[in-house]
Amino acid sequence: MLELLAYDFMQRSLLAAALVGAVCSVIGVFVVLRGLAFAGAGTAHAAFAGVTLAYLLGLPPLSLAIVFGLATVWITGWVEEKGRMKLDVSIGILYTATMALAILFLGLMKTYNPEVYGYLFGSVLSVTTEELLTIGGLSIVVLGTILLLSKELYFIAFDQEMAAASGVPARQIFYLLLTLVALTVVIALKTVGAILVFAMILIPASTAYQLTHSLTQMTLYSMFIGIFCAVTGVLLSYAFDLPSGPSIVLLATSLFFLAICCSPKRLHRIQAE
Amino acid sequence: MTHPIIRFDHATFGFPGTVALEDISLSIPESEFVGVIGPNGSGKTTLCRAVLGLMAPVSGTLRVLDCACEELRCHHRALIGYLPQKGMLDRNFPVTVLEAVMMGRYGALGLFRRPSGKDRDIARQALTQVGMDHHRDSALGALSGGQQQRVFIARALAQQPRILLLDEPTTGLDLTAQHSVVELIEQLHHELKLTILMITHDINMIRSRVDRLVLLKTKLFAAGPPQDVLKPEILSQVYGKELVITDKDLIIVEDYHHHH
Repeated sequence: MLELLAYDFMQRSLLAAALVGAVCSVIGVFVVLRGLAFAGAGTAHAAFAGVTLAYLLGLPPLSLAIVFGLATVWITGWVEEKGRMKLDVSIGILYTATMALAILFLGLMKTYNPEVYGYLFGSVLSVTTEELLTIGGLSIVVLGTILLLSKELYFIAFDQEMAAASGVPARQIFYLLLTLVALTVVIALKTVGAILVFAMILIPASTAYQLTHSLTQMTLYSMFIGIFCAVTGVLLSYAFDLPSGPSIVLLATSLFFLAICCSPKRLHRIQAE
Repeated sequence: MTHPIIRFDHATFGFPGTVALEDISLSIPESEFVGVIGPNGSGKTTLCRAVLGLMAPVSGTLRVLDCACEELRCHHRALIGYLPQKGMLDRNFPVTVLEAVMMGRYGALGLFRRPSGKDRDIARQALTQVGMDHHRDSALGALSGGQQQRVFIARALAQQPRILLLDEPTTGLDLTAQHSVVELIEQLHHELKLTILMITHDINMIRSRVDRLVLLKTKLFAAGPPQDVLKPEILSQVYGKELVITDKDLIIVEDYHHHH
């Protein structure tokens, strides 16, 4: 196994996977606790529509992925804030509309472009140095912001109105959280792909949720699980010649079910009954 | 009379097409313990949201801490400790008791600043004041309803507030817990000289404890010492046939029991 690390592409892949695992799992804590799971899934598909349009126009794919992702989360946040309609309905509409756009742009390309499909299904083994630098830069931005504003993010996840009532600029922090979700989706797009990125945001955080009653511990556990699944998933995918995205996500899913079975919270409830 | 800390002046609150509270004029001096009563939909929660600065008056004015409520800045809000209605919070949220109480410090701390040892001491002191310090490392979700209310009161106290706003703090608790929570609130009022605004359905529980009662039914129907407000002729105008006054002078509002 160690000789694998001698390859440049493997070093890049593992570093990209570790970064993606860390960022997704940390932002995932706030997504899970604030109940934004479906919003993130919609964002991933919108970002993919951005990628397809970028290929069609000959622009850098991640730039339009960011634009589409941000537009979707902000519209989602605005709809929730205004209470115009139920959140799941509005996201459902955006989700399918952006996927329709992606299919439309793919159709307009005329020729088959395997690189575009790399963003749909993930191809961490083909991450370039340039992409790794982008992933690294965006990861620093997302993780740094979370570190600086973690107390406010925890509070709005707990109760946004109470946070606002106690003097936290809750509305601004909520939009910041949505922005960070969109950036995270973009960071992870190349590694795990648009279809599976949201699993990486949800599963490590949901697994950690089973294991602890403390916010700080939940974040640390989630990050550890995220990095472990991403790195191990890449190694497994190489060793057994499997696609990387599904390897990472299925490993994380297995850990999630294991955590449910061994959850101290669940066992405590069973004992109490 | 002491300078009012909360002052409604002909204030009307609502949304386009509906009026939740109409033409309210009320001054609350510092350190007063005020009970807010009224039937369901009488505007009690609107009053609460308005004092928190989450709702601006459509006409008239509301000044809280000498500031128009719609202009309350974060540092003003940090001076208003708030206990929301039970059930509005996710009681299984993965948070320890101390972590939940520490949130009370966040507004006052401001962005980017990490809580210091001093903030931790303030949170611990708030937990001691509500008799919950020994539970500080417990999971919030593992506590009983009454214990959780004590923790949320500690969270409000950790803000070191001048005003304590309590939205039905006893609803959903068993009778023993209801009494112990109300006794705690009364004790905090005496010890800390806080201005307390407590919304409640339980008139009998607070009638002997508050300085003043405010009776709402969209308008301010009556305000004054409990014995002046709790007159059958006044209450029956607000509660109608739902009101029963027993021979032991207990006030029972039928509507409340049907809804809960």
